[in-house]
Amino acid sequence: MLLGVDVGGTFTDAALLSGDELHTAKVPTTPDDQSAGVIASVEAVLEHAGAEPTEVEAFTHGMTVGTNALLEERGARTALVATRGFADLLEIRRQARPSLYRPCATPPAALVGAELRFEAAERIGPSEVIEELPESEVERLAGAIAEAAPEAVAICLLFSFRDPSHERQLAAALREALPDAHISASCEVLPAFREYERCSTTVIDAYLSPLLGRYLGRLAEASAARGLPAPLVMRSSGGTAEVAEAAESGAWSVLSGPAGGAVGAAVLARLTGDGNAVGLDMGGTSCDVCVVDGGEVRRTDSREIAGRPIQLPMVDVHTVGAGGGSIAWADPGGALRVGPRSAGAEPGPASYGRGGDEPTVTDANLVLGYLAPDSRLAGGVELDADAARRAIATLARRLGLEQTEAAEGIVRVANQEMARALRVVTVERGVDPRRYALLPFGGAGPMHAAALAEELEMTRIACPRASGVLSALGLVAAGRRRDTARTLLLSGDELTAERLSSEVRELAASVREDLAGTELEVVYELRYRGQAFELAIPGPAEPDVAALAESFAAEHEARYGYRDPAAALELVNLRVAAVVRGPEPRPRAAERGAADELRREARFGGEWVDARVLRGEPAAGERAEGPCVFELPEATLVLPPGWRAEVDQTGTVLAERSGGSG
Amino acid sequence: MTAGVPRIDPVTLQVLAGALRAACEEMGAVLVRSAHSANIKERRDCSTALFDADGSLVMQAEHIPVHLGSMPDAVAAILSEQQAEGDLWILNDPYRGGTHLPDITLISPVFIGGELAGFAASRAHHADVGGETPAGMPVDSTRLDQEGVVIAPTRADDAILAELVDRMRDPRQRLADLRAQRAANLTGIERMRELASRHGAELLAAGMAEILDYAERRTRAALAGFADGEGEAEDVLEAPDGDLTLRVRAELRGDQLRLDFAGTESQVEGNLNCPLSVTRAACLYAVRVVCDPDGPPSAGAWRPVEILAPEGCLLNARPPAAVAAGNVETSSRVADLVIDALGAFADVPANGQGTMNNLTLAGEGFTYYETIGGGQGACPDADGPSAVHVAMSNTLNTPIEALESEFPLRVRELAVRRGSGGSGRYRGGDGIVREIEALEPMRYTLIAERRRHAPRGRDGGAPGRPGADSVNGEAIPGKAAGELRAGDRLRIETPGGGGYGDGDG
Repeated sequence: MLLGVDVGGTFTDAALLSGDELHTAKVPTTPDDQSAGVIASVEAVLEHAGAEPTEVEAFTHGMTVGTNALLEERGARTALVATRGFADLLEIRRQARPSLYRPCATPPAALVGAELRFEAAERIGPSEVIEELPESEVERLAGAIAEAAPEAVAICLLFSFRDPSHERQLAAALREALPDAHISASCEVLPAFREYERCSTTVIDAYLSPLLGRYLGRLAEASAARGLPAPLVMRSSGGTAEVAEAAESGAWSVLSGPAGGAVGAAVLARLTGDGNAVGLDMGGTSCDVCVVDGGEVRRTDSREIAGRPIQLPMVDVHTVGAGGGSIAWADPGGALRVGPRSAGAEPGPASYGRGGDEPTVTDANLVLGYLAPDSRLAGGVELDADAARRAIATLARRLGLEQTEAAEGIVRVANQEMARALRVVTVERGVDPRRYALLPFGGAGPMHAAALAEELEMTRIACPRASGVLSALGLVAAGRRRDTARTLLLSGDELTAERLSSEVRELAASVREDLAGTELEVVYELRYRGQAFELAIPGPAEPDVAALAESFAAEHEARYGYRDPAAALELVNLRVAAVVRGPEPRPRAAERGAADELRREARFGGEWVDARVLRGEPAAGERAEGPCVFELPEATLVLPPGWRAEVDQTGTVLAERSGGSG
Repeated sequence: MTAGVPRIDPVTLQVLAGALRAACEEMGAVLVRSAHSANIKERRDCSTALFDADGSLVMQAEHIPVHLGSMPDAVAAILSEQQAEGDLWILNDPYRGGTHLPDITLISPVFIGGELAGFAASRAHHADVGGETPAGMPVDSTRLDQEGVVIAPTRADDAILAELVDRMRDPRQRLADLRAQRAANLTGIERMRELASRHGAELLAAGMAEILDYAERRTRAALAGFADGEGEAEDVLEAPDGDLTLRVRAELRGDQLRLDFAGTESQVEGNLNCPLSVTRAACLYAVRVVCDPDGPPSAGAWRPVEILAPEGCLLNARPPAAVAAGNVETSSRVADLVIDALGAFADVPANGQGTMNNLTLAGEGFTYYETIGGGQGACPDADGPSAVHVAMSNTLNTPIEALESEFPLRVRELAVRRGSGGSGRYRGGDGIVREIEALEPMRYTLIAERRRHAPRGRDGGAPGRPGADSVNGEAIPGKAAGELRAGDRLRIETPGGGGYGDGDG
């Protein structure tokens, strides 16, 4: 049996896969100590399946401990060691201001205050050591930092990606002088070039590791006490690591939560189609989108989280603040706006009846007949359609609209925000969304999927039966993965097959240790010498330079419209990952008859239409035509006229748009 | 409302505005992704925009404030010409739609069903445009044609582009960057056509008109919220041979604002002159900061603003005056000046660093151009941020590890210039210290302001510290050029922002 537990902002989801049978459970998240909710969800799902903890063979965990600590600035008291003259790098950033027209909008505060920034008298340049780091300086720094007694220390020296010796010297001395502190050296976190981004990453690593270590320690203990296997932790890369490894490298788990969803989307894309899908995970406050290509989640090597760059391999998930709880309002110019403010879980949308009186996206969906007034949402919330109508009517009056028009407007404006997010991960990255299926999940994703597909001219939707807990399913399916990289900046005579394969061997040895059954993924980041950005070209561990050059030129031509045979090729970074494939879960559709048939009025194309409603788990082979609504166990799929759907063997609703009405 | 024009409801307005904004952002992404020069890719010194058929700027991707208010003049410069499907216009002439020569603008008319429906435009700061000094940012030019190749609005094809770039340094890089701009325009055309096919060309046109009206309503609502009144402000630019006075008088009547620069010095022999489009861009930046920071980047926002600058004055210069520093430095001062004047009836921040600290280093086979951030002025309710670009620019810095791998330079220090922000109830932000050592002989050019006069505090707040620059410890003026030998160190200390209010926040 395989177990996955995903901690979200509101709910903690568990998925237990026993053969091809999928059991799920949802319990409230316990923000003070997420491990309590994790254990509660495990107990709930085991009870549902009638299974014992000892039957669980693997237990994978996705969490938001790191992300939340970063957003709320609750990490460790961290010191920074930088090259002399550069302690303020972390504060200067790339010198851009966060808001063009709000002069005093501040960038997020540096995670290390000025009083905990230390400078080392040393300097390495692009090709040589310019100023040695004397032993006396190392001792001086170790003493001064020990005196300040931080919980963690980040070390980031200029050009350490070229020559890590000074950072290593300092790391060894600090580990001795501060045995209880966590030490992150940039050459160990990820030795890639561009000092500010590397420094920011290393500081985040130091800042989060102590907290993560404590949390994972508690979780491992609680798991052992109940007879569960030691947990594996989902990392931002979409692969898992053992607790000890994850606890040592805090920066690698910041996207642990969204990575589970992305891997889940990849599993379903492989199972139900050609492996090409755009994942859309819409929850209560935000919406995460990602692209799955040939069954694999697209990755990126750098991004910002709350205004702080992290330069590590991560699933390429883009997040916007549009969710079921996003609040609709009228702005001073008389336009209808939705979000970014959210009603959250408390008080929640007006229809939750917990005192919220501002209209939200969920309220609009209810008024339009997409959500059933008599259904219970996850967590047992009963909806109050009158409260939703009252809230929307107030806003409608302010905008000079009819109530129904306003509700339709709220949904359209929210969709616009999500369509923008989808464009960012597709067209802005050179991906044509029309070749992909839209794979909606999360509590609210499937409700908006058809409208979004139409906006992006996509013609296919694949809505998984487990769409409400797909992230947890992704955890079940995740493989082990360890990434590393090195900046080489090689061109001309230095760029030889021998040099590359020896670099690959060294990097491979560092990531393969005690990972049995690994495959190696090798990526060469190349550019024409003089360009500012590189293209990532996958290749073999024993590469042929001419073949790499040809792959690069072809990719360059495909992206930018030309190749430049006269220009010199430069290898900037070499990336190597050791990967152990995860299990391939095959969830099965429900037996025939699990779904009830109902009808209700819902709003499509500006009219009230009598729509078919299928409530419960639909059976394989079940067909439906829009207008119709699938009320799945944890999510609702809405299909307007023009869409046809059929349920496949995995319980996924595959919908296709016939041309015409789009 | 005219009969037959579709009604635009508040929802369709947001949907179209969102789609047009996404289209502009996608144009920007195409440009940054496919350009070759560090200036566009690493520093993102470029902008993209969509216009309606009348040449009004409907929406823009927000990169660089100085581009926002000045792009409409580029389209205006070709509006009276016959347009045909597939046309591509190129220009950089500051007196005919441009700003300063390094900013090259490409404009493509958008045809839908055979009718002119609008324009897609892209502007990028090119690393070089020919001329006597590399990078097109000389310190001592007195005539426009000394600053580089002047391109009047021209219908371009491959042959004309090739001929133009041949007159500049590194023509291959120039051509690659221009192709990237053209690719951005084509993306804009395609997205506008898609919108027309989904919503209908008429609704798209009505929607664009409504976005302009909507932006106008927002600015008017903000202006109407202030008490009527007049504000005056005076400030100076630091020309090499003395100060130049700038004056503005702001008059607010209801929801209508007039900015009159009468009393400003006449255009000068140097290159601090501005074409009117740059002056306008700086005014509109200031109005937006004060009135509607979150409004859509659309030209409707400045319909309520009337700008008067006497012809031939420093802020409405006539050819052939040189303008290289007008776009970067004078524009910063105009923004300060207008914000100060609006302070007579609105809450406004203290002065920020008020300069971009333009540094060019050029030697055998290389040109490196960079602008350096500084302190922001404090606001009525918050400290000013430190070490950021203020006002009209927002470009990124070049990473030290990229810089030193590419150029014979060694950065010796990059630090926050502590204590340079003015004190007050809220503190001004601190400037930046950047010290660079030349590893081989090269020439430097520095164009910087706020060296002789400090950024001012507001409401009793103390001024920020002025900038200071030196070579091997010996002070140099804010506008300087000279030779560096191997081992020489150039140090730039950028100004701090002014403080706000009495007290020691």
